[in-house]
Amino acid sequence: MLKSRYARLGAALALGVLTGAAFAQDKPVAGEVKEGSLKGKTLTFVSYGGIYQDGQAAALKEFVDKSGVKLLNDGPTEIAKLQAQVESGNVTWDVVDTDDLPPYVYCGKLFQKLDLTKLDVSKIPAGQVGECSVPAMNYGVVLMYNKEKYKDNPPKSWADFFDTQKFPGVRGIDGSGSPTGGLLEQAFKVAGGDPKAMTVADIDKAIDVVRKLGPDTIFWKTGAESQQLAESGEADMLMMWTGRAMTAVKNGAKYAPAWQDWLVVMDQMTIPVGVKDTDASYALLNAYLGKHAQEVLTEQTSYTPINSDAQPKVDASVAAFLTNTPERQKQGYKQNFKFWVPNFAVAQEKWSALMAGN
Amino acid sequence: MSALEPTTPSAPNRAGWAWRPYALTLPALLLLVAVIGYPLLTIVLRSLSEPQWGVQNYIWFFGAPVNLTVLQRTFVISAWVTVVCAACAYPYAYLMTAVGPRVRLILVLCVLIPFWVSGVVRTLSWVILLQDSGVINSLLRSAGFDGIRLIRTQTGVVIGMAQVLLPFMILPLYSVMKGIDLRLMRAAQSLGARPSRAFFTVYLPLSLPGVYAGAIIVFILALGFYITPALLGGPRSTMLSTLVQTQVLSLLQWGRGGAMGVVLLVTTFVLLALAAPVMRSRYREAERR
Repeated sequence: MLKSRYARLGAALALGVLTGAAFAQDKPVAGEVKEGSLKGKTLTFVSYGGIYQDGQAAALKEFVDKSGVKLLNDGPTEIAKLQAQVESGNVTWDVVDTDDLPPYVYCGKLFQKLDLTKLDVSKIPAGQVGECSVPAMNYGVVLMYNKEKYKDNPPKSWADFFDTQKFPGVRGIDGSGSPTGGLLEQAFKVAGGDPKAMTVADIDKAIDVVRKLGPDTIFWKTGAESQQLAESGEADMLMMWTGRAMTAVKNGAKYAPAWQDWLVVMDQMTIPVGVKDTDASYALLNAYLGKHAQEVLTEQTSYTPINSDAQPKVDASVAAFLTNTPERQKQGYKQNFKFWVPNFAVAQEKWSALMAGN
Repeated sequence: MSALEPTTPSAPNRAGWAWRPYALTLPALLLLVAVIGYPLLTIVLRSLSEPQWGVQNYIWFFGAPVNLTVLQRTFVISAWVTVVCAACAYPYAYLMTAVGPRVRLILVLCVLIPFWVSGVVRTLSWVILLQDSGVINSLLRSAGFDGIRLIRTQTGVVIGMAQVLLPFMILPLYSVMKGIDLRLMRAAQSLGARPSRAFFTVYLPLSLPGVYAGAIIVFILALGFYITPALLGGPRSTMLSTLVQTQVLSLLQWGRGGAMGVVLLVTTFVLLALAAPVMRSRYREAERR
């Protein structure tokens, strides 16, 4: 790897000398792009729409203005669509924002292994750069509870979430599609297991804990639905994405977070296999990782920036749900990635059966 | 019915010209082949060829209890939706034939306007009405009753789907009913039949073709419903389309997703084939009368 990188660097240097250093491989700096370097080119950026993608587009505005690229927005991200593009050899998505796991599950198959000499990843929080992805932003899955229902005795952890004896009430769980590894690990802990030593058979035990929450349990399908459940008071305890939790509270939901073991999750930025202009995709990624871009993103979306220099100006309601403070970092729970990546399909199958009422 | 209409003179049947009318179906046929035939063929092929050639996807389908539960549930929910639609649409369509043109226009608009609103919007409106803290339950509680669970139940799904599909029942019913000569009812009564008897022996059989046409459309559309059960239902009202979506979009198992679609399609055909002789005989009976 190292050797080939040097070889490539050498080749690039030689090429640089030959072409009058017009394309010299300067070390990339996050957030920077050469004036007019992508003039006449078009890039398609794919994400999940809504305020999130609007925020990302705003974060990339400087990149667009400076490089002269024409940026198209598409979405929502669907791995199946991407697979169809890769299989047919006609990839129209140049940079794709995905969930946590897909870049690890389909690394090298659907997503390119990233050449880190073309990106400045020095400001990304430790441990977040994958073989095929850089983070798009950080957020959390947090336990939100109805303050009026639980008053002086609020739930404090996922163990309380799964304890319907001590904490009666309707639960709301992310049923938007894929299982949340962290939640299943917390459930497995309740069943007396050790998430660090989880086996495939243990997935059933974890799912049984969720199933025991009973027929009243709500599996919300979209972030908007989870927000609506909080604002209307339909559920007493809700598993929510921090951005949605923040918006619900802002809109008057009488809910509060229990931060202990909030589940660390992130979106990923990837370059699909077979894009037409890899370097242009890299240029977009590198610009996206910049300090200013990340500040804009957070100010617009409340999601936590992934450039550690970023100093977004946010009001108190947003700040309350940022996950990058030292206190939150200590409380966060990271899922056992090594376990979930190879077992993604099995977990999905079992989770789908639960979703379908079996 | 045909007895009341003037018989058309039989068309000249010169050889070489007989195919001409069929040529008129060509544009529609081509479109169907392109947008239904080809994709359907692809789905069937993929269900038999992924990950390798064979019937492994079908073995998987019938081997997983969850698939069978959901398949059965899909048919049960669709049947209920059809029944609810028929019960609501029948009197409504009858009213449409019985009133003057102006009121009829209003009735038609009442059917069509919601039809023009996106299904998603209508379904979300049902969420607001049906949820535990929603309008219906608030009314119940303020009237001193206990709230009832409507959303995330099969009842909620059936209500939502029936509303979305109602026009597909009303319109065929109306088109048949408006062709029924109401003087037949008067004739029956003049011969001594009570109104209910006249209805059941004269009007109802004549209107049955409309019921069948509407029922088939509603039932088949209901089988493939996705948005409404996803939003109004819970785990116990998941329909097959949701499982297909999971296989295709989350797990990239297009072979399995295809197999599920094929099973649904074949089961539907089998049911229709079983129902067809009954319907046909009733239809003939109605025609004869």
